[in-house]
Amino acid sequence: MAETSYPQIRIVPARFLTPDTAEDLLNEILAKTGIRRIVLNGPRVPEIVPYGPARGTPNVVAQRREIEVQGETIKLQVQVGTILIELEDASPIPEIRKACETVLTNFPFTLQEGRFMRSSMTMTDYAKYGVVEDERILGMVDPKSKTRPVILQGNR
Amino acid sequence: MAYKPQYGPGTSKVAENRRNQMNPEVKLEKIRDVTDEDVVLIMGHRAPGQAYPTAHPPLAEQGEPDCPIRKIVAPTEGAKAGDRVRYIQFADSMLNAPSQPYQRTYVEMYRFRGIDPGTLSGRQIVECRERDLEQIAKDLINTNLFDPARVGIRGATVHGHSLRLAEDGMMFDMLQRCVLEADGAVKYVKDQIGVPLDKKVAVGKPMDEKWLGENTTIFHVLGGNPYRNDAEYIEYIQRIHSLRTKYGYMPKE
Repeated sequence: MAETSYPQIRIVPARFLTPDTAEDLLNEILAKTGIRRIVLNGPRVPEIVPYGPARGTPNVVAQRREIEVQGETIKLQVQVGTILIELEDASPIPEIRKACETVLTNFPFTLQEGRFMRSSMTMTDYAKYGVVEDERILGMVDPKSKTRPVILQGNR
Repeated sequence: MAYKPQYGPGTSKVAENRRNQMNPEVKLEKIRDVTDEDVVLIMGHRAPGQAYPTAHPPLAEQGEPDCPIRKIVAPTEGAKAGDRVRYIQFADSMLNAPSQPYQRTYVEMYRFRGIDPGTLSGRQIVECRERDLEQIAKDLINTNLFDPARVGIRGATVHGHSLRLAEDGMMFDMLQRCVLEADGAVKYVKDQIGVPLDKKVAVGKPMDEKWLGENTTIFHVLGGNPYRNDAEYIEYIQRIHSLRTKYGYMPKE
């Protein structure tokens, strides 16, 4: 079970981010210490058209690219709209705010503190996923998804 | 006395824009010049230059039954020729798009003949005979009812009308049918259902924020036109709501 005592923040830019901006922002944020988990949320941009008359054909999106964050390659499956971050303690929040201010210069953003990830399974989770062995990914991704979380080594 | 439609209540700019779009006596402002061929490519129902496939023989050939209604109503060109029924669908961003689904349906019903519009929260589809549709679609794209960035021509996978815009000001589209190019023009790279096009189809430059704010037909606090500022509109809606709630289908005061 994810510990409930860790502080979490949510960064919501006023515009959806391009992969370039998302990459810059993540590199700025992840250069700070004390980040446990991070989720990139946004509307999905799948590689194959999932439904409709063009179903099954490749979804060519000019902007799509893999981003390089802290030496790891991340395949973006969404257009980044919201970033959820879990921290070890509240001390890096001002630095993260500063990082956002450095990168998101053309439009405003909000940075909120609160609880944004699941801390325990809901009944619906049990119905959908059964018992989830790796509870660290609860509330981050679909536990049945074959793609695994990217693990960044951190800078400690 | 002949009935004179009022089109809608309200004293605000938004209300005025709604009335102007609906009123067939007000000419829609022509802003861009998308050609017939471009419209055909974007819709993707037939190849440009291809003859119109038919659903039935031309009316002149098939012999019409003796019907008083058919004597009153003149068929449209498409109906006369027996064209198939085809569609165009628009998704309009809530962030100051120049038209909105309900508004579009009103506009089309006042301005065009032989159409079957369908209205949903984030998209609006209009169906009619193919050659009529091409004329109507051209009007809808070339005039002030359309903005290349905030309005999408989307036959399927329309999601995006209520989302934030992308960094370049384009409305989210999972299939990214249109792209804002470096020259500032928006170009369609896929047809309305998401099948890639052989060539890019330009639909002009996105309108600026000022124009969008002045020409929008949506009340939106973030767009700069809050609904609460239009007291007449609120009074009208409250009256309708009250009559409906109190008297159901027999409204009286």
